[in-house]
Amino acid sequence: MRKPLILLILGAVMLFGGATSAGAAASSHHPLYMPNASNMSNPALQPPPVCCIPVYQVAAGVPAPVNMAYFGGHVQVTPKIYLVFWGWGQSGAFNHTTPGMPTYDPDGAAARMTNFVSAMGGTAWAGVSTQYYETVNGQNVYIQNPSNVLGGVWYDNTNPIHNNVSGLELAQEAQRAVAHFGVTDLDNAQFVIAQPQLYNEAGFNSGAGYCAWHDYTQPQYYPGVQPGISFTNMPYVLNSGTGCGENSVNTGYFAGRLDGFTIVVGHEIEETITDPGAEDVINGQNLGGWYDFSAWENGDKCAWVGYTDGIAPPSTVPGGLNNITGSDGKQYPVQSLWSNDSAGGTGWCAGAGDDLPVTG
Amino acid sequence: MTRKSVLLGLAALALAAIAAGGALSATTSVTITTPKANQKVSQKQNPYLAVAGTATFADTTAGTTRFFLRRDGCGTSSDNPHLSVTSGTDGGDGCGLIFNAVAGPGGDVAPQAAFIDFPASDGMPLAYNGTQPVNGQISLTGAQVGLAEVDVDLQALVGGNAVDLGSATGSAVLDPTGASTPVPFTIQPNVSLDGSDLQALDLRVTVHGPNVYSGFIALGGASWADLPSYTASVNKTVLVSVDDNTFSNPVAARLSGTSWSVAIPAPSIGKHTIYAESTQGFSTSAPTSVTFNVTK
Repeated sequence: MRKPLILLILGAVMLFGGATSAGAAASSHHPLYMPNASNMSNPALQPPPVCCIPVYQVAAGVPAPVNMAYFGGHVQVTPKIYLVFWGWGQSGAFNHTTPGMPTYDPDGAAARMTNFVSAMGGTAWAGVSTQYYETVNGQNVYIQNPSNVLGGVWYDNTNPIHNNVSGLELAQEAQRAVAHFGVTDLDNAQFVIAQPQLYNEAGFNSGAGYCAWHDYTQPQYYPGVQPGISFTNMPYVLNSGTGCGENSVNTGYFAGRLDGFTIVVGHEIEETITDPGAEDVINGQNLGGWYDFSAWENGDKCAWVGYTDGIAPPSTVPGGLNNITGSDGKQYPVQSLWSNDSAGGTGWCAGAGDDLPVTG
Repeated sequence: MTRKSVLLGLAALALAAIAAGGALSATTSVTITTPKANQKVSQKQNPYLAVAGTATFADTTAGTTRFFLRRDGCGTSSDNPHLSVTSGTDGGDGCGLIFNAVAGPGGDVAPQAAFIDFPASDGMPLAYNGTQPVNGQISLTGAQVGLAEVDVDLQALVGGNAVDLGSATGSAVLDPTGASTPVPFTIQPNVSLDGSDLQALDLRVTVHGPNVYSGFIALGGASWADLPSYTASVNKTVLVSVDDNTFSNPVAARLSGTSWSVAIPAPSIGKHTIYAESTQGFSTSAPTSVTFNVTK
């Protein structure tokens, strides 16, 4: 249903090609995909352009030009990230064990993501988003970069998961997480629904070509789910190997095996911070935060820069994939994030420690 | 499969299991000899309580564990290149080395071209003996002639972290008339990791050379790596816990042969239970306990 929906929206946008803002469409919605390294130009995974601007085809491995704009929705000024490991302890979640590792996390992926989110707050990488803001009563309120952005971790083995879960089921799990954590400030909260090796979301399993996506619950699209929840579909990206970042930064079988987890979850987290409304337009009101006129968010514009699927690192491209040092002193591979301020205001991918010499 | 071949197969498996002593699960057990059950201990006379007992651990003789390079298929999602402590017929024997635009053009190219990872599918955990070298051979078969080089990189998981055991390059002049040409290699000892309990293991193999544009790694027992190992983990502990059978805040005892002892502050007046468990690598004994009384 998702692909036909995208085509429908694309058609609608083309029909109203003379309009000047996203508000021209009464309502539009689409999950915002992170294509894998081989599908960056796959039209089925591109967001419909905002309006009027020809869609540019971005070559794989290079930043997408043109700065982002503010579309009027809220941003996450003081973000809190809630990690939900749905069904990781459920029978059949993994097909292997590793001595000395928990049976519910035999590859260490959950631990890696948890450590990363614990340590990303306050880094220069997370600080890229502090140039973006929301406007409230005429005042610009800027995104902050607090040292602790991990709201909580929940290993949910109570509510059963199954393979090929739907987006609606992920949204329902996000709603359960809202209740589990007792979250009241949804504007600043986001929920990463991480799936174990053998129970993943249907589109990811089908080979649609993406690693993850994020979205925002609205009654029209997630019936029965509380509105206003920002959540991420985070599949077990190691299943997609190098296409979703395995060994894309760190060489060596084990040294780089989990690279994709922090690259992909970092992409989705930062996109959600700057665009928690996921570009939704509801009854003419744009809920989106920051993205460009091709509807690319800060993560999309810098995804897989400097990387060719399956070719070993290191990237030597400014703004390419790289390790950052977390607040715990450990190294975490990430992609860079679009910075309007970089390159003297022209904009470039930044924050991964390999920025262009000119930064704004 | 005939009955005879089944029996031969089982025998081979059994022999391989014996050879792979490091892969066998260790067993350990523990007893508490002091204090005795229901013993009365005066807090005034004993501000510290002596706790002692015995523990048994599996033998830790040094040896080697042979890992064979194996592959289940050719060019499918079921290729599954892997290391195994057992040998046998490989469905992927004869799989050509992949030389293409992604993996590399062949010939004497950059080291990242055409590598194949062989992660261990069994034989883990392994108690690594870092005082001895890793020896092995990668056998090459194919129509090519001339010098071939094989780069091997051995990486492991220790404590959840990736560690490099070492790397080496072997070379040989290929003989197109032979069944295969073994290319021997030796990875130097990694003393800093001696005694580590390896949770997982991977051998990355890169084949290159000025004339290497085709061919394959011969399997079916022809390619292997001998890892120096101990028959069981050399990391042994006895942990003691007061009134907490979950060992959430244990005290480590001092080990001396099969005996252990530790002095702990005498608990408060009343009845208490001391729990003890022993560990050897990833193997943990069943806990044992003794209940005693602390008096004034």
